[in-house]
Amino acid sequence: MLPVVVVHGGAGHIPKERAQNSTSGVSAAARAGYIVLKGGGSSMDAVVEAVTQLENNPSFNAGCGSVLNVKGEVEMDAFVMDGKTLATGAVSAVRDIANPTQLARLVMDKTSHACLTAEGAKQFARSMGIPEVPMESLITEYSRMRWRKNIAPDANPVECQMGKMGTVGAVAVDSEGVVACATSTGGMLNKMEGRVGDTPCIGCGGYADNNSGAVSTTGHGEAIMKVVLARLILFYMEQGQSAEAASDSALAYMKSRVDGLGGVVTVDPRGNWAARFSSRQMAWAAAQKDTLHYGLYTGEHFTQSIDEPH
Amino acid sequence: MSAVVVVHGGAWAIPDDLAKASVDGVKAAACEGHSVLKRGGSALDAVEAAVRALEDNTVFNAGHGGTLNTEGEVELDAIIMDGRTLGNGAVSSAKNIAHPVTLARAVMEKTSHCMLTSRGANQFAESIGMATVPTETMVTEYERKEWEKHKNYVTGVMEDFNAQWAHDTVGAVAVDCSGNVACATSTGGIRNKMVGRVGDSPIIGSGGYADNLSGAVSCTGHGESILKVTLARLIISHIEQGKSVADSSQLSLQYMGNRVHGAGGAIVVSPSGQWAATFTTERMAWAAVDHDVLWFGLDPNQRSKEQLSN
Repeated sequence: MLPVVVVHGGAGHIPKERAQNSTSGVSAAARAGYIVLKGGGSSMDAVVEAVTQLENNPSFNAGCGSVLNVKGEVEMDAFVMDGKTLATGAVSAVRDIANPTQLARLVMDKTSHACLTAEGAKQFARSMGIPEVPMESLITEYSRMRWRKNIAPDANPVECQMGKMGTVGAVAVDSEGVVACATSTGGMLNKMEGRVGDTPCIGCGGYADNNSGAVSTTGHGEAIMKVVLARLILFYMEQGQSAEAASDSALAYMKSRVDGLGGVVTVDPRGNWAARFSSRQMAWAAAQKDTLHYGLYTGEHFTQSIDEPH
Repeated sequence: MSAVVVVHGGAWAIPDDLAKASVDGVKAAACEGHSVLKRGGSALDAVEAAVRALEDNTVFNAGHGGTLNTEGEVELDAIIMDGRTLGNGAVSSAKNIAHPVTLARAVMEKTSHCMLTSRGANQFAESIGMATVPTETMVTEYERKEWEKHKNYVTGVMEDFNAQWAHDTVGAVAVDCSGNVACATSTGGIRNKMVGRVGDSPIIGSGGYADNLSGAVSCTGHGESILKVTLARLIISHIEQGKSVADSSQLSLQYMGNRVHGAGGAIVVSPSGQWAATFTTERMAWAAVDHDVLWFGLDPNQRSKEQLSN
């Protein structure tokens, strides 16, 4: 059953014309994470690799391709957690770097803190020799178009919902049975400057504990925060529910208690995994026993050999 | 229906020369919260009033009296949460605001977000007419001296003794006469922290959590440890499984000590008016008003009381 990696490219309403890019992007990221695991790499290495790929892929709301805040700027959040030690690193509202997940990992590995925000996060990046990139390089035509549409006084509310979600993430168990998670995002479309969502908040955007499992979440950030979604799923698993049942129960609770939609990828230390969502779609992919699994719409579960081209 | 308010002024090895002022401070804040509840005010109003009183009191590390980061600036974090709706608001790394808890409440009530950080938090404060306070006014002589002394220690030595660090975050929990619970937590963080360091206080599920179905919690102690175990939400999970507020707090703090070697404290109140103030540090300044009796303590197992005149 081990090792396994599961990635998501965001829960939400993904427009048809972007569906193909989403599916191939998460599949490539899952493959990349799996190669790390097969090579003896840790689950932390695997999730950081997978999410880094998604940050570099302009089709996703993370790193390059991030949605814009109300001022038309990119502010990013990211989070990593190690299930063995509960060590964790996070950055919020960080600007002008290509890979916030790697910076979050450095917060975990190189400081005595768990979270750095904004200017402080950027200063730390500089001190670690992480290159500053022009904000423009993170902005795509698509994100600029969405921002413009949302600013307009007659903005279509349905279209506004599209791209209000997003976020990318991954969970993994390595061959030693250590679990880890990583989550990264540009946040909510047209958010206020400095708005921090669930992603960098431990227990909300993700959680990893060798005693129960690892989770990475996506969806309506404020709703995820209210129910501390990732930690909630693991509480259910601690009480004996499977990864799938726990994920579904928690998503249902979030919907009924605070009217929020989202999606999760979840794994337990034995390698049982689930990719579940209450939103219309969630691009996801998993790699286990040399098999690639993936889906986008509710009920989809495709499989192929990991070596076959997607 | 019994309205109760509990406040804390930080869990750490409070030195004797700060002991009386700390206990006086939490007693006064508990009475502030109690006045609100007595005239029929909400739990949310009560925790805000109590924490505002603690933020004004320079003995505590929140608002005025906040500790300095490595560059000699004050960066403030706060959270407030309404157990009825799970609505919450938080700010991290807000500069020179006298009442971060009030700013956090404004995030909850005046925006569609749950958390604002840094410059964005300050811009929002300005937009609602909240004044900034010059650093010199916020920082005490004592703090400035301690900060300079601290700068001369090798960081490694201090890290081993997290219980010795000042953790005088402040917080309050309350249940009102309608059975609604609320929590609030506010802090200047750790002395000499890295710029932009965010601890547990503003992170939902860690620094605090409130849910009418189970109770409200506010935590204090070693922030990075509290985050790793999502302490507030952990305490709530034990309450959900039927344990008393005292046992839930004790078990969770013990777990934090065993799993991640962190010490701290928590105040908890249940919707039916049960309450507890528990800590694993040497001391915690706390006070509660329940049925017109003022309870307070500092040392382990200390429970002093005074009858309040009506």
